[in-house]
Amino acid sequence: MFGDVLIILVKVVLTLMWTLLLALFLTWVERKESAVMQDRIGANRASVFGLRIFGLFQPFADAIKMLFKEDFCPTFAQRALHWLAPTFSFFFVSVTMVAVPFGDTISLFGRRIPLQVVDLNAAVLFVLAMLSLGIYGILVGGWASSNRFALIGSLRGAAQLVSYEVALGLSLVGLIMVFPSLSLARIVEFQGGLLFGFLPKWGIFLQPLGFAVFFLAGMAETKRVPFDMPEGESEIIGFYTEYGGLKFGLFMFTDFLEVIVLASMATTLFFGGWQVPWLGDAGFAFPGGGRIGLPPWAVTVLRVLSFNLKVFFFCWLQILTRWTYPRFRYDQVMDLGWKVLVPLGAANILATGLILAVR
Amino acid sequence: MNGKKPVGLTIDGLKVQAAEGTNVLRAAEQAGVSIPHFCFHAGLDVEGSCRMCLVEIEGLPKLELACSTIIREGMVVRTSTDRVGEARKDVLEFLLAEHPLDCPICDKAGECRLQDYYDLYGLYASRMIEPRERRDKKVPIGRGLILDRERCVLCTRCVRFLRLVTGTGELGMFERSLRSEVGIYDGRPVDNNYSGNLVDICPVGAITAEDFRFKTRAWFLVRRPSVCPHCSRGCAVIIESVEGYPLRRSEKRVYRVTARENPAVNGFWICDVGRDGRHDIDDGRHAAVSEKGAPVQGLSWEKALAGVAAAIRSVPGPERAGKIAVVLNARLTCEELALAKGLFVTGLGLGKVFFADRKPGPADSLLLTSDRVPNAKGVLDAGFTPRLPALGELAGAEVLLVFGSYILEHFGEEDVARALAGVPSKYLFAAHTGPLDRLVDAVFPVAHPAEKSGTYINTEGVRQSFARAVRPCPAVVAEGAILVCLANSLGISLGDADVR
Amino acid sequence: MIKAWRVLRELVRGAAITARHFFVNMTFHTLRLFGIRTRRRGAVTIQYPEVQKALSPRHHSLHRIRPRPDGKPSCVACMLCVTVCPSECLYVEAAEDPDPEVQKLPAKFVVDLNRCCFCGFCVEACPVDAIRMDTGEIRLASLTRAGLEVPLDKP
Repeated sequence: MFGDVLIILVKVVLTLMWTLLLALFLTWVERKESAVMQDRIGANRASVFGLRIFGLFQPFADAIKMLFKEDFCPTFAQRALHWLAPTFSFFFVSVTMVAVPFGDTISLFGRRIPLQVVDLNAAVLFVLAMLSLGIYGILVGGWASSNRFALIGSLRGAAQLVSYEVALGLSLVGLIMVFPSLSLARIVEFQGGLLFGFLPKWGIFLQPLGFAVFFLAGMAETKRVPFDMPEGESEIIGFYTEYGGLKFGLFMFTDFLEVIVLASMATTLFFGGWQVPWLGDAGFAFPGGGRIGLPPWAVTVLRVLSFNLKVFFFCWLQILTRWTYPRFRYDQVMDLGWKVLVPLGAANILATGLILAVR
Repeated sequence: MNGKKPVGLTIDGLKVQAAEGTNVLRAAEQAGVSIPHFCFHAGLDVEGSCRMCLVEIEGLPKLELACSTIIREGMVVRTSTDRVGEARKDVLEFLLAEHPLDCPICDKAGECRLQDYYDLYGLYASRMIEPRERRDKKVPIGRGLILDRERCVLCTRCVRFLRLVTGTGELGMFERSLRSEVGIYDGRPVDNNYSGNLVDICPVGAITAEDFRFKTRAWFLVRRPSVCPHCSRGCAVIIESVEGYPLRRSEKRVYRVTARENPAVNGFWICDVGRDGRHDIDDGRHAAVSEKGAPVQGLSWEKALAGVAAAIRSVPGPERAGKIAVVLNARLTCEELALAKGLFVTGLGLGKVFFADRKPGPADSLLLTSDRVPNAKGVLDAGFTPRLPALGELAGAEVLLVFGSYILEHFGEEDVARALAGVPSKYLFAAHTGPLDRLVDAVFPVAHPAEKSGTYINTEGVRQSFARAVRPCPAVVAEGAILVCLANSLGISLGDADVR
Repeated sequence: MIKAWRVLRELVRGAAITARHFFVNMTFHTLRLFGIRTRRRGAVTIQYPEVQKALSPRHHSLHRIRPRPDGKPSCVACMLCVTVCPSECLYVEAAEDPDPEVQKLPAKFVVDLNRCCFCGFCVEACPVDAIRMDTGEIRLASLTRAGLEVPLDKP
């Protein structure tokens, strides 16, 4: 019993550390990637004892700066809620990561340990629920600021997030029809098979339309450019208006965590999670007949690596998107959500149902 | 028209009436047609040397000088024909032929007739290829005046002024034709009380005053009319000051005092005493209420005045006549004197209301009077009988209000100190710092006449009202406001007296 | 449907452009990292304090007063620059010079960089071409306001 608790604790700490570290790293990646895309260099001056390593210390410098800034709360704001809002946001996003499987099960000290904090049997619903609870951070933050810009921002944000949750939910229904489980671990396992004898049986190949809807709606859920309705830094400052220092930092950090959550969800649901194409427990088995035997630890390492690489790719893709497209107008965001993504999601369910019924 | 017969003529199509004996230039000016000129000055005789005022007169074959042509009935004058324009342009070209064009360092720049007329009538490209003639650029001619012979257009206004107005004739024209120049006679520099007018009347930058030289530029100056407070003539003056940029804090605000034309008082001139009066406006001024000889920052005069009112109130009504003494002066305006009368004589019923003023100085035959106060007639007009207090009369008082520190001009400092030592509450309302500051409880900074508005009655009984010409320092307040405030806090109605 | 296709195509094209920049620049960065010098660089950035770009000849940098051959300032304190200055940052105090050919010199010539907007009107207004903004001094910073009041009368 004690061993189980210890294992869970270690897994929780490791997952949280890894996620937070990745988010911290992403703030640097975002600056560097945008810079390289724009033929610039990007932040490269932060150094420790003259050691610059491409400005990799920049996130730490930022974090230290945020920490030491004045913890400001306007006199007209509602102090408790103002303080609570960023923690809401942060908590609900970071908690989603418990349901994501990082890899296969490993055998350690005579125990079989799944590389997942907890295998919920309704993990998909759990993730969706937690993401939608994140709205409260925005709403409460905007309301508590007692600032009209903040309020406008938070109301727009709430409307946007609620709208896109519908599309997000619909896009996953088709997937759940194909992989008949709500457990993320089970869904990943389902994706280990082969399609037509050579193609990995990933969600993307079974549900291409579902993936498109999911990824777009997910990007809208992260509320970053081009879907930055709640923030809208070019018109209103949004629900951040009255935030500064560490509390603002938490909001910012939440954004990057959401990027990671979306990337890991896309990986898990549509790109096989920790699955490596044609890699079984004993090694590679290519469709042409070739085989490469691998020891179990190598297989595990490859699988964890595969998951992280995919997550990384999706983070990169999201940052690329964020620095490529201009932001939508509010009505365009709403049009895209309700008039395009929701019908497409519904059509996807219909098509999936038809195909499953005919087969 | 001063009793002279009116003459009708036409200038530029306008039917004009002017007094007989007027010249065409003045008649045109009265009709609002300006004719350019250098040598003509309404206060001097006609010279006709600059040739700038050429006009076309119907029936005469050549262009005539507007300054030396007397108007006749039915005369038709044209000032804006092409012929006149050409003539002006050519005259200007000759005048400017040897001009050094050192406008950047010339004090006249900005108010120079050569500049103005070139802009209006010249606008030709220079045809001079010969080097310009060099002459003396810095000739001191006495009384802080500097003559620049290169800039001189030989209009002889200065020569005529000294010959006709002051009668001293220190300047003369020397040499002939091309070599002619203005100069002083050997060992006899300009030395009379009206030398400053030479700078005013010089139409170009030939005569400049050391006092104003290089201090600022003419276009920075804000010109506002006022009345000179330095003698009982009350000459009309223009106070020329700089407000805001490029003036820096704690700098002089007033750069120049010049004459304002007023035929009833001073004609076109003012004396050097009044001209030097500009130092009076900026130098040695109180900038804040002082207590016990030291300025107290942040103490408003209203707050300090409450103490004065309390001191007056502490003297019981029947004793006030003998226990409260007030010393006024004749620099106060008529309005302020009326307020003082209403407050001190009618309201408080004081018996000890005295006057202390500047001592009389030497007078001259032209404008300066011996009486060195501007409003001596106004004091009588307000119903006061000005009397200098004896020091014993002041010593017996319990509350003493002194307006102006001129009492020290009549008594020795130690005597005054001894007399004031026995007075429990004593207040000074003065514009300038002085030894009296240490002898009183509090000093209120009051406005210089240039900083307030009011009316002065000059020695001939001419009333002149004037408005504020210079913005005072924030803490400085006019005596009128002090009197009104004092009356209000003592509950005395000043009736319908006009505060302003 | 056709419109949607076009929108999608443009979206993909946009992403392709930015992605191309990313990968191309990344390649050059990586080459440089491994010590391979290429003519093209991954970024157009000039690393300012270490590398400095040559200023354009028309650039407006800190003012200066040109000296006369004898070392005196060539300014004649005509205050035209003071007059024309839109940000009211110049302060000139004139003084008399014993040389009758010079006569007027600035005793004080202070430019208040707290206010100066570097428009260069003073340079254009100067009748004797005394003030110029060609020192190339662009690091104008001070910890105090007084430190930004630059006296120019000692050339």
